[in-house]
Amino acid sequence: MESLTKEHNATAIALKGINLWFDDFHALKDIDLTVASGEIVVICGPSGSGKSTLVRCINHLEQYQQGQIEIFDQSLANKKVASQIIRQDIGMVFQHFHLFPHLSILQNCTLGLMHIKGMEQQQADDKAMVLLERVGVAELAEKFPGQISGGQKQRVAIARALVMEPKILLLDEPTSALDPEMIKEVLDVMIDLAGSGMTMVCVTHEIGFARRVADTVVFMAEGCIVETGPAQQVLGSPQWDRTQEFLAHVVSNGAA
Amino acid sequence: MTQQSDHNKLKTFVPIPARPAPGASNSWLAHLRQQYFSTVLSSALTVTTLFLFYLLMSPLVDWALVKAVWSAADRKECYSVSPDGACWAGVIHWFNNIIYGRYPSPEIWRINLVFVALVLWASPIFINRFPHKVMVFLSLWLAFPGLASYLLLGGEHGLLTQLWFGIACAILTIIVLALIWLVTGRELAPGHSALTRLKLPLLALTIGACLGQQWLILEAVETTRWGGLFLTLVIASVAIMMALPIGILLALGRRSELPVIKYLAITFIELVRSVPLITVLFMAVTMLPFFLPNSVELDKLGQVLVAISLFAGAYMAENVRGGLQAIAVGQTEAAKSLGMNYWQNMIFIVLPQALRLMIPNIVTSFISTLKDTTLVSIIGLFDILLMAKNMAIDKKWLDLHTEPLVLIASIFFVLCYGMSQYSLYLERKLQWSH
Repeated sequence: MESLTKEHNATAIALKGINLWFDDFHALKDIDLTVASGEIVVICGPSGSGKSTLVRCINHLEQYQQGQIEIFDQSLANKKVASQIIRQDIGMVFQHFHLFPHLSILQNCTLGLMHIKGMEQQQADDKAMVLLERVGVAELAEKFPGQISGGQKQRVAIARALVMEPKILLLDEPTSALDPEMIKEVLDVMIDLAGSGMTMVCVTHEIGFARRVADTVVFMAEGCIVETGPAQQVLGSPQWDRTQEFLAHVVSNGAA
Repeated sequence: MTQQSDHNKLKTFVPIPARPAPGASNSWLAHLRQQYFSTVLSSALTVTTLFLFYLLMSPLVDWALVKAVWSAADRKECYSVSPDGACWAGVIHWFNNIIYGRYPSPEIWRINLVFVALVLWASPIFINRFPHKVMVFLSLWLAFPGLASYLLLGGEHGLLTQLWFGIACAILTIIVLALIWLVTGRELAPGHSALTRLKLPLLALTIGACLGQQWLILEAVETTRWGGLFLTLVIASVAIMMALPIGILLALGRRSELPVIKYLAITFIELVRSVPLITVLFMAVTMLPFFLPNSVELDKLGQVLVAISLFAGAYMAENVRGGLQAIAVGQTEAAKSLGMNYWQNMIFIVLPQALRLMIPNIVTSFISTLKDTTLVSIIGLFDILLMAKNMAIDKKWLDLHTEPLVLIASIFFVLCYGMSQYSLYLERKLQWSH
């Protein structure tokens, strides 16, 4: 479904009839989703609904058995080489950060620039520092991931993804593993990023964040997309009982 | 935490200042008392242990030092001087043979030269301030054998071997110069200009070393004359240097998604691991020639080197695989989502972490490889153990077994304990905080 709040032209991500099974478990069922360039999509839903799996499919960390994914009209066929090239256009931020513990914060950000984009060390360092500055952790550049807090780790992870200049950023529950006091610092970075015109697909339970920045909210349950629409519509006046039930739970738990 | 007492007025939270932990003392005397004499039982245990230690050690010291004979013409003389002391005279008499085997005496300087070159070449790896450690290590791995085989084997060589030797000489010169700069206090900036200025002389040196061999042909020394500690170290270092790359490739192969590679790796690893090393050695030396055409003449040492390297590699593979399995899948996913391919992920992300985790196991493998090399004495290579046996059948030193074995045990202890201590140091140095 097209977003109503912004003008969008190119299609960034198109998922067509995706079906995925883990052994016998049908994890994604007939998923169709289109994300326009510059659009911000928030996917929410109960745990086990397949939202993380869906996001991981987009940059091919999961193998789907049926359907087709197109990134900027390029088909992401089930081929390794193709997925490597397309992954360079897609940044990914994980729930558990997955920083490289044997490398300093700065090296975490420059590794891809030097070895994938073939940049010189000096240039790579400069570029990484700009992004570390932007997410507010420049003073930690020489530290190692084991020495910094969860919120700082996640901001470094965002910088590491952004430094590769992706056209799309995928965020898989970026604040779920954080202490309540650290969620805000990461959300602030994400809100800042949302304002910059980056295409984002974000799995999150932060309904407040969804209300504030999402163009489109996708609600998933049991491996299906239950409903899709502008944030105020899906979160404000949901059309389906399942959505309403979920929102009631989330709001009563104070997550909104 | 601040306590909300009243809706209008909040108390200001001031944390309790930190205090030192109780009972901490810097005095070594206090430390000694606390560790060894804290209670009656603890004191009794300490004293008993010291007494047992004395009971065990005093006869040994008596035999090895107090009553020992250091110079004698033969074993009979040892006996007549001191019947229950060690006869070190025999070991001293045979010392050169225990260290160098039956290498011709006038050529022994070549072994010493190779040893000195090895120490110089490897020393940058142990000096913290020295840059480009990985390059030094790789050059040692790739080029040093050129220098070593030229000097140790002697004889005439083909053009490629000469070039290999020349390159090795040039690299060694660079390293020695860099060491001198480091010692004299000059810093080595990356891309140091001094080295670029040296490009031409180094090239000349390489070519010179190649051509020089035309005139300077060293006397050929057959590998059958290699022996003693020297041979033990040659076999052990080749096996250790080869085991790690072989092990890494086999471990990656075993975890490969391609069934052919996967099952080949599994078959090789399981086959080699299920067979004793001595069997592998016998197979390599006695059975392999049956399968080869008569014209192919195999060097016994070469066969042994290949066999031990593959054997150690198969064991190493399982160590490396253990390390690979300990690395969370998330690391690979993060690397993939940056756009890395399989090898980039392995080289920059997974292997550095996996190998670091496995340092204790890897070094344990190295140590057992070093000790395993003594098995080559059974198939007739004159390693340090067989030299000692030979000494005991020398008419002058008939049946003198204990003394050379004590010497060999001490040598092995120094080497193995050194390796184990270095691995502990390496673990601490490469630690990253979690």
